Amino acid sequence: MNIVEVEARLTELWERPKTLRGWFATVDHKELGIRYLVTAFTFLLIGGVEALLLRIQLAHPNNAFLSPEVYDEIFSMHGITMIFWYAAPILSGFAVYLVPLMIGARDMAFPRLNAFTYWAYLISGIFLYIGPFMGQAPHAGWFSYMPYTNSTYSPSLGMDFYALALILLTISTTGGAINFIVTILRLRAPGMSISRMPLFLYSTLTVSFVTLFSLPALTTACVFMELDRRWGTHFFQISGGGDPVLWQQLFWFFGHPWVYIIFLPATGMISLIVPVFSRRPIVGYPYVAIATILTGLVGFSVWLHHMFTVGLSDMAMSFFSAGSMTISIFTIVQVFAWVATVWKGRPVATASMHYALGAIAMLVIGGLSGVFTGIIPVDWQAHNTYYVVAHIHYVLIGANLFPVFAAFYYWLPKITGRMLNEELGKWSFWVMFIGFNVGFFPMHILGLLGMPRRIYTYEAGLGLQPLNLLLTIGAFTLGVGILLSIINLLMSIKVGEIAGRNPWNSDGLEWETTSPPKAYATVHLPTVATRHPLWDDYAEESDPDGDRILDRGRLTLTTSWLDAEPRAIATIQKDTLAPLVLSLVMFVFFAAFIFHWMWVGLAAFVVSFAVGFYWMWTRPGQAGI
Amino acid sequence: MSSVPQTARPGASIRDLPLDELRGIYAMWCVIATEGSLFVCLFCAYFYLGNGKQRWADNNPPGMTYPWIMLAVMLFSAFILRWGEGQVKRQRYAAGRVALLFTILFGLGFIALQYFSYRSQLQTLAPDSNSYGSIFYAISGLHVAHVVVGIFLLAYALVLPRYAPARESPFRPYQTVALYWYFVNFLWIGVFIVMYAIPNLIVHG
Repeated sequence: MNIVEVEARLTELWERPKTLRGWFATVDHKELGIRYLVTAFTFLLIGGVEALLLRIQLAHPNNAFLSPEVYDEIFSMHGITMIFWYAAPILSGFAVYLVPLMIGARDMAFPRLNAFTYWAYLISGIFLYIGPFMGQAPHAGWFSYMPYTNSTYSPSLGMDFYALALILLTISTTGGAINFIVTILRLRAPGMSISRMPLFLYSTLTVSFVTLFSLPALTTACVFMELDRRWGTHFFQISGGGDPVLWQQLFWFFGHPWVYIIFLPATGMISLIVPVFSRRPIVGYPYVAIATILTGLVGFSVWLHHMFTVGLSDMAMSFFSAGSMTISIFTIVQVFAWVATVWKGRPVATASMHYALGAIAMLVIGGLSGVFTGIIPVDWQAHNTYYVVAHIHYVLIGANLFPVFAAFYYWLPKITGRMLNEELGKWSFWVMFIGFNVGFFPMHILGLLGMPRRIYTYEAGLGLQPLNLLLTIGAFTLGVGILLSIINLLMSIKVGEIAGRNPWNSDGLEWETTSPPKAYATVHLPTVATRHPLWDDYAEESDPDGDRILDRGRLTLTTSWLDAEPRAIATIQKDTLAPLVLSLVMFVFFAAFIFHWMWVGLAAFVVSFAVGFYWMWTRPGQAGI
Repeated sequence: MSSVPQTARPGASIRDLPLDELRGIYAMWCVIATEGSLFVCLFCAYFYLGNGKQRWADNNPPGMTYPWIMLAVMLFSAFILRWGEGQVKRQRYAAGRVALLFTILFGLGFIALQYFSYRSQLQTLAPDSNSYGSIFYAISGLHVAHVVVGIFLLAYALVLPRYAPARESPFRPYQTVALYWYFVNFLWIGVFIVMYAIPNLIVHG
């Protein structure tokens, strides 16, 4: 067995051609993961600029920087962009890049589906932003309550772009969830039984199941909205026996589980990062794993706490209030596990660890204000005030943005092959941390003082001015902090130290590959004997006979889902343009819907199946070895 | 951390493992889970909108003639497909293809029946007449959309040339699309019970 020949053969099998067609046709999870990360980060920057515009407007009372209508559109686009097109996709990006490496597979279970979900995600984002460029933006916040969004009160195309872009995004997200479920259940390395999975896999698996069961509610709501707006149906119109509260029920049945979808994978990343920089295994692994699953499960019984002021029955509200309290227990299990890990370990203060610990601190604040808003009378007081704005930002920035930055500082050396500057990273952290807390903590007070959310200005002399100015300063500081990290990244790509295989001395399989990983990951598919394969050394991990090279085709191993015993050899499909073409056809389909081109829409529907046939076609000799 | 490492079953070397055929079925079950949730949401909306209303299904329930025939067509198509599945499993591909063809024809028949059913229904109830009409046509219309998708999937299995050459894989794409078709059948049973049988039982029964 000549190692050079084997490597050359594997490279030939797995590496895409360096052509334009190769770029568009690739199904390599590593490339797609990077594209996911770049796209989602771009949406973060767009949403961030929108936030800064809002803060400029609110810096002074009676400010006329933005007109009320434009203010509405910008805060809507800010929320929609951040929650749908940044927060979940960035986690998908990490998962797409890391999950196959973490489980020792050479790609996802459905690589073409993986490419499709990326392209559909990108195209749905472009679709959403067509509206604002036509001067017809959504203007009703990210949850778009009826009847304000029906065709009477919202005659422009803005809400149509919102609803259809979201339907396209749900198709992409659902496809991604299916891919993660099958990948994690079937493609794990031999020996990586369910009790040895990295915790990030638990959270990704959990949110994938949550996605399957919760996203259809959003689809239903958006379909109903479009039917009401386009064909005069009466789902949400009181006049024909409809009910606007139905929108809220459907939206929040999706919406609250979605909060966990953009939160749990981030906690999963913290559960990997904190132990590595505490130099010990995580405390209470099974409890953290179970807490993750239970959070996803109980996340389905809390949605009514968004609707305590609607006028529901006491019984229903009490039940959902109790559900909201219960879920905090599972979060606290995770927080205590992290704190105990740091406590029992020998912590190393890297930039990544700074972000992870900062995230824990802010998650606790956001979690506590969440418990308050779960208490019915407090919620009646705080509802629709800046208190809620403070809460959501502490949860989303504390439990999504900061973990994402921790993950960037932790995994970017693997992705780019070069280290980031630790000093600049810590500077960036402190600027972000201070900026965030200055920019958002006073919102709690403003909310209790009675400042309503989504208001475009306020009168002087209400006592709201000094704190609002402080918020604006804090928001810009946060922006500067993020900018420092971007500079850090750009510099590291040019002049960063070479990272090497495992710069942090981590335990996960993804660190066994070179940095950046080869297209085929590792020559020998790994096996796992313990929960921390790179910290422990076992004889099973070596492969003297080359059984696990699998260079007869694009192959990877499948194993049983519980014990990870080898079961079969999976063929991995080749590169193709079909996923890109399919998402473009879907773009045409939805555009046809917006502009009433019925025949174009019908044609796109039929063509999409033709592309699907091409995609799935089994060519002679392809499936065989 | 030093538990006994697990290995493959004795004798099973990685070289001798068969080709994986189960990913498609797993994915189809996921599709069914999420599509099933979609219909759960729709049925919830149906009951939510009907809750406490004066005029709701009860006074003027939709007729049962067409739904009964459509139910029979659906179930019959499923039995044919199930038979075809067995044939393909025993490598009788021609019989399997004939079964697929008949299933597709029954599916098209179902769509035609739904068209005629709509035509008579529309004389008394339109999607824009009230919220009942809206949800009624939304649910049955989305079901028809699923039938259309099912027919496309069956057509894919129908034209797929001799499937894959290696070992025993030809059976799997057939089985996967058949699973979707059974699901569409199952959905119609749900629609039948919720939107047709229950209102009629309340009024006439």
